[in-house]
Amino acid sequence: MKDIQFPISDFMPDACIPEGPVDQKWTKYKREAKLINPSNRRKYTVIVVGSGLAGGAAAATLAELGYKVKCFCYQDSPRRAHSIAAQGGINAAHNYQNDGDSVYRLFYDTVKGGDFRARESNVYRLAEVSCNIINQCVAQGVPFGREYGGMLDNRSFGGSQLKRTFYSRGQTGQQLLLGCYQAMEKEIGKGNIEMFTRTEMLDLVVVDGHAKGIVVRDMVTGEIKSHSGDTVIVATGGYGRVFFLSTNAMGCNVGAAHACWKRGAYFANPCYTQIHPTCIPVKGDYQSKLTLMSESLRNDGRIWVPSTRELAEKVRNGSIKASDIPENERDYYLERKYPSFGNLAPRDISSRAAKEACDDNRGIATSGFGVFLDFKDAINRMGKDWIAGQYGNLFEMYEEITDVDPNDEPMMIYPASHYTMGGLWVDYNLQASIPGLHVLGEANFSDHGANRLGASALMQGLSDGYFVISSTLPTYLTSIKPGTVTTAAPEFKAAEDEVKARLNKMMNVKGTRTPDDIHRELGQLMWDNVGMGRTRESLTAAIERIPAIREEFWNNVKVAGTTVGMNMELEKAWRLGCYVEFCELLCYDALAREESCGAHFRLEYQLDDGEAARNDAEYAYVSAWEYKGVGELPVLHKEPLTFETVNLAVRSYK
Amino acid sequence: MKDIITTICQFVTSSVGRKVIVALTGACLLLFLVGHLAGNMTIYGGLGGGNETSWINHYAQGLHAMPAWLLWAIRLGLLAVLLVHIGFTLVLKWENVNARTKYQKEGTLKATLASRTMVLTGVTIFCFMVFHLWQLTYNGDPANCYEHIVHAFINPWCSLFYIAAISCLFMHVRHGFQSVFQSIGLSTRKIRPIFDLAAIAFGLVICGGYISIPLAVLAGIIR
Amino acid sequence: MANLNLTLKVWRQDTPQSKGSIQTYQANEIPEEASFLEMLDIVNEGLVIAGQEPIHYDHDCREGICGMCSLTINGVPHSGGLVSKVTTCQLHMRKFKDGDTIWIEPFRAEAFPLLRDLIVDRSALDNIIAAGGFIEVRTGSAPEANTMPIRKKTSEAAFDAAACIGCGACVASCKNSSAMLFTSAKAAHLNLLPQGQPEKHKRVLAMVRQMDNLGFGNCTNQYECEAACPKGISVDNIAKLNRDYIIACAAEGVGVYA
Repeated sequence: MKDIQFPISDFMPDACIPEGPVDQKWTKYKREAKLINPSNRRKYTVIVVGSGLAGGAAAATLAELGYKVKCFCYQDSPRRAHSIAAQGGINAAHNYQNDGDSVYRLFYDTVKGGDFRARESNVYRLAEVSCNIINQCVAQGVPFGREYGGMLDNRSFGGSQLKRTFYSRGQTGQQLLLGCYQAMEKEIGKGNIEMFTRTEMLDLVVVDGHAKGIVVRDMVTGEIKSHSGDTVIVATGGYGRVFFLSTNAMGCNVGAAHACWKRGAYFANPCYTQIHPTCIPVKGDYQSKLTLMSESLRNDGRIWVPSTRELAEKVRNGSIKASDIPENERDYYLERKYPSFGNLAPRDISSRAAKEACDDNRGIATSGFGVFLDFKDAINRMGKDWIAGQYGNLFEMYEEITDVDPNDEPMMIYPASHYTMGGLWVDYNLQASIPGLHVLGEANFSDHGANRLGASALMQGLSDGYFVISSTLPTYLTSIKPGTVTTAAPEFKAAEDEVKARLNKMMNVKGTRTPDDIHRELGQLMWDNVGMGRTRESLTAAIERIPAIREEFWNNVKVAGTTVGMNMELEKAWRLGCYVEFCELLCYDALAREESCGAHFRLEYQLDDGEAARNDAEYAYVSAWEYKGVGELPVLHKEPLTFETVNLAVRSYK
Repeated sequence: MKDIITTICQFVTSSVGRKVIVALTGACLLLFLVGHLAGNMTIYGGLGGGNETSWINHYAQGLHAMPAWLLWAIRLGLLAVLLVHIGFTLVLKWENVNARTKYQKEGTLKATLASRTMVLTGVTIFCFMVFHLWQLTYNGDPANCYEHIVHAFINPWCSLFYIAAISCLFMHVRHGFQSVFQSIGLSTRKIRPIFDLAAIAFGLVICGGYISIPLAVLAGIIR
Repeated sequence: MANLNLTLKVWRQDTPQSKGSIQTYQANEIPEEASFLEMLDIVNEGLVIAGQEPIHYDHDCREGICGMCSLTINGVPHSGGLVSKVTTCQLHMRKFKDGDTIWIEPFRAEAFPLLRDLIVDRSALDNIIAAGGFIEVRTGSAPEANTMPIRKKTSEAAFDAAACIGCGACVASCKNSSAMLFTSAKAAHLNLLPQGQPEKHKRVLAMVRQMDNLGFGNCTNQYECEAACPKGISVDNIAKLNRDYIIACAAEGVGVYA
């Protein structure tokens, strides 16, 4: 095993964090921010890639303000972006429950939940605008859960001792996205947004050091086209499908972010990948994706495994059922280890605890990779009707997939790749290290640190899209002259040619393995070596294997059809082509971060009780990686994290 | 005025507006069915005796004793309602056929046979109605209505045709009745099953009533 | 764990212009636990390896919420009539029997032009929303969220309507290819809520007009849409849209404000 020495650069772009106390930074920023006269705004063309909560909200808001917006998504409608699948809820510091919530507490919980690896200033801003998001969504007609008095209801969520989560049954993401989609359609109807559906961004075009456009593939005709604008906003979500099996949609991909990275944007903290504790266990090797059961289930469900290996074995081979196991032979391990948070311990902790139980051979499900989530007590306490009111659709969904009714037998769950906290590096303006490139939502790295709390992703996407970018975009736009670059610039032609060459190269391999087949192999490698628990050995092994998989892709992939017209195999191949390059970065980052924090758990670095051992003295920084070529070591830039408001503390949920 | 005309134009060219018109004209026709049946039922009042005219003849003569303008106003009114009902339906149907692409293998979950054959049953009812008017109104004589009816229905083929046509009417009414409430927006999940039952009950009563006459003639109860 | 052997009758059509036809494929050794789309994945993997073009179909989230998957199975959108309230991606192979013949066709309607194989263009649905399926509230102009209490039942009813995933199964199942269930669900969602009142009449008129212009058929109250809807959207919404439309015409045309 050879030691890898990463090239480290002293240079780090300015994060542009306003001066002053953390609770006044955003106010100060807005007070001093540059403005653009309404009649001048239409001179600016804004390209928005992605139509989820972040992209959609940004497109709608910027169009309302008067900018010319071009929005792109790979689905057939902006309403289908994967934000729609978020189930549980969205946090806000409204304190409607009178249980002591405040902007500061939401901020503190988020920073702490992120294991002190997020930027204080960004998180505070997020907490600050959280209430505006709820106000906006309610005004749009989002049907949040209500109490009989007509007021908004809240539920509690992992990582918090307060009830601050707003929800729409188990479909909060859907309802929020539809609100945002409707706002977009309103602007599309008025002609303020030009919408390009079934269009995938394949490359970023940088002209004179500024992001000025994108190269896309029309997924219906197969044409490669360019679009120019004054700024590019990338809101294309995360890279969870690097593990092949994940809760992400089949089309979710790292392509756009990867293209930006290759064009010079720094990629920050890629090793922070969140594993969601409550997903339905894997059932077979034909499996295409994993289904998440909302974390809100942990409010009333109790997580356990049999207390002995023998009992677990009997459950696995089907000789006894969960309901046959008496109370004293059940190990409610979360309640046992974390008495104050119990089943509501943060995601990374719950996930790892499940893995530990299964590694101890006490897992259930046929594969042995599963734990029980039991509603028996809640049903006895509150009745089946009440449970149905809270989780009806989730229970139905579970039964539909597994043929087991959670009212009778406990659910079986297991962690799965779910969300990626890492993403393109952005400053306080949400601008990447390439001027003119802005990155929103899951695609950026900024707000969740090393671990995201439940119900915070929706909050961040909408915060970036509705409230932040509209204030920060003029900072860049006022520094340039609008409309100076068109697709006639030679950079566009060059980028198009590169994309076409790459597509043709894939097409012409004519090997023997389908993209899915290779992706599955890559995913398994990543899951085993870079998944929930990582070691120097596992990471090095992955780094050694990856070039071979990349070779396999370029020498043995079989892409059916042609580049003309619809070709879903070509789409898969393109996305896999990005993953086989990107996955290495994830390993490098995980290897370079020699500490455990949040979702990044290095087995070498743990406390005596198995908790993550953070190393604040050496690793309290953001790792921003600069691309240097395929197979080449990327250059590490460090943005130091300073905590002026919160005290760095061991993150304890005991 | 301009607003009203624009709105009316918009209403009668919209899918919802035309559906409402079909529903309302359909409702009128349903009421007509009730009235017509009530009149028909007088046949069970018998032939009368001696100088007494039979009830139905009395009723028929009573109808004809109305002022001619009133009689024709009612007739033309009904005709207009009927033509509007048919006309709009055919336009909607034409659009529906053009909007749809056929499946190689068709499947149906809930749409009833009655609902899928509305145009077919409707056309059959229309043909029947033309025949009916020709047979019993154009060639009829109010003074001898009873005799005329018995004479017509004693022919089993004629009775059979009536029974078949009224069965179509049952199908048409069965879907149409509850459909009226849906189209004018007075239906909900809770009340729909009641409308549905009411539609069947209404159809059975009305169509049963109509069919009872040829059956009674054939069975010799009315002679 | 049993495996199934199936015969698939699949609609294949290379381009929007070309003439499509039903092709027959064998799907062997399909695990019962697989979802319908995973079954297609297995078949496609075999086709690609055999040097043929895979069967193209739309899919994304595979958890029944994005509304992208759109297959008509044995003449019934999504479920094939085997289960109620599921999307294609949530239909599992254990619902089929060994030796079954399964017909797989796209969501068919003239308003949904076919793009390739089982993929259709449903942008007409977006156009209906663009016509009025929204509440016009500029970002930043919203009042404090709890200033307007909303009756829980009203909110729940609005949610029931808002649960529509815009998949278009209502159109595909309708014997007239009408989009009334889709349109009415969005109209009902917004019209039920107090926030949606100011634009109610405008919304209803505009959405119905747009729907008519896009070449959908007319509703004939057969309720096939409700039965095929993966989210169980009720035809009550259609009744409500009819009602709201009459009221809107009265208000806008005659000046009767009820």
